[in-house]
Amino acid sequence: MMNTPQQVKNPSTSLKSRFITRFLGALTKINAEDPISSPSPTRIFQRYRRIKVASNKSMAYSVRSRRIWSRAMLSRFRSRRSAFSGRRSSVKTTNCTTINVTINENKTAKGGLDMQTDELRELVPGGEAMDVCNLLDETAHYIKCLTTQVQVMRKIVDFCHLSK
Amino acid sequence: MESNAGTTETRSNVTVPDGGEVAAFESLQFTDEIHRLISAPATDNASSFTALLELPATQVVELLHSPESVKLIVASAPNVEDFKGSFHFPSNTGLIQKDARFSVFSGEGNNKNEKSNSPEMTSKNSSANLEKAVKSEPAETASSLPLVSDPTVENRNIKRKDREKKVKGSTKKSKTATNERLEDAEKLPYVHVRARRGQATDSHSLAERARREKINARMKLLQELVPGCNKISGTALVLDEIINHVQSLQRQVEFLSMRLATVNPRIDFNLDSLFTPESGSTMDGGNFPSLVTPLMWPDVQVNGYRQQFQHQWHFDTLKQPIWGREEVCNNYVTLENSLLSYDSSANSATLHANQLKMEL
Repeated sequence: MMNTPQQVKNPSTSLKSRFITRFLGALTKINAEDPISSPSPTRIFQRYRRIKVASNKSMAYSVRSRRIWSRAMLSRFRSRRSAFSGRRSSVKTTNCTTINVTINENKTAKGGLDMQTDELRELVPGGEAMDVCNLLDETAHYIKCLTTQVQVMRKIVDFCHLSK
Repeated sequence: MESNAGTTETRSNVTVPDGGEVAAFESLQFTDEIHRLISAPATDNASSFTALLELPATQVVELLHSPESVKLIVASAPNVEDFKGSFHFPSNTGLIQKDARFSVFSGEGNNKNEKSNSPEMTSKNSSANLEKAVKSEPAETASSLPLVSDPTVENRNIKRKDREKKVKGSTKKSKTATNERLEDAEKLPYVHVRARRGQATDSHSLAERARREKINARMKLLQELVPGCNKISGTALVLDEIINHVQSLQRQVEFLSMRLATVNPRIDFNLDSLFTPESGSTMDGGNFPSLVTPLMWPDVQVNGYRQQFQHQWHFDTLKQPIWGREEVCNNYVTLENSLLSYDSSANSATLHANQLKMEL
């Protein structure tokens, strides 16, 4: 499962290839914006943040709205962007309130595993508004996407090092 | 005509040696019921045994619990009358096996017509006997017990899904208790299925059970995804592993983006050629075999570096959600410095790559 994220789809439109194209596009954009050789730590830190956001965004966009976590991540990006532009963003809180009932039910059912499920909810974007069943589903897909992300980024880094 | 056809059909299914005597019991007054028996599969999506028979709940439970019903086939018909009077629930170990066989049979009977079920059943003797017994039973017992009205039939149709779950699960159970069966009888006419041994039969626990099974199935999938989780037993530990894995993956993404931030300036992205052969490659990084060999000597150093890394990242990444927070500047400035110093030499570059490989 880890080796073939594109098992169901056409190879040319697989998750991996979509992510790659998007991420590389974002990287070129970031490179173009910044003055290229600036060793100051703050600059590098800014670039790091941008690249990280670009990486997560590219993955979320590659998954589109097919998964709860990707939808949550995309809405988070959008709300953050709108917050930067000065408008109020209250998107995050609307989902959580209505789902508290189911979360309590789950707690009574699986008493000993509350801690872990809560931790998992924190890790997986959009996890607060999911019941345990969906949470496990989303976690599996999220792990798959994260490994793809790591794989691709690692190869890019290695390639950069090699071509030095 | 139809009624005759109905009776003949049931008669052909019942291969009783004293066929004539059985037929004597099946007078024309029971043909209505037999009609319903045969036309029943059209109404619902079949599956379970009792649904096919469209029997009133009481009859089904009693019929299935009676050992004499098996004897009916071997012995002559007059035994049926003896049976008629005694609707009790003997605690028989033989019944347990019959229960198991019955459940297996009805598990197989999904989406099949009543008639097509009969060839299946003949492969299993006791279940075949049961079926014949049950089929002949309604003819006899209908007079003693009231006919079912439609609402209960509909209730049964609604509960069909639950019944399937119960029946399929009953083969796993090994505990025996007549109390459970008595419970079933007391809850009639709404509960009309055999429940698992030692399990309650109300809808809440059914839903709970279904939920738990779903969750367990998904946990198994997750165990396959996360490396090293197969050997662990116990949901809590597996969940811990999964959480660790997700955290490490997120940290890796951050680490790699940090590396990209420092390395990037020197490249131009003509990488399409790079990635098309890689689309099928595995995670081992098979495209860079040259980096694997220097793994030997930097072991100690790499571990130390990684610990330092983790120590610096620990505070930030473990306790706080990664997505929404504002990063603390101080830690990352020191990290960047160490990264820069490492990046200055070619050896350290390979060190980096090796460390990444070892992380997995």
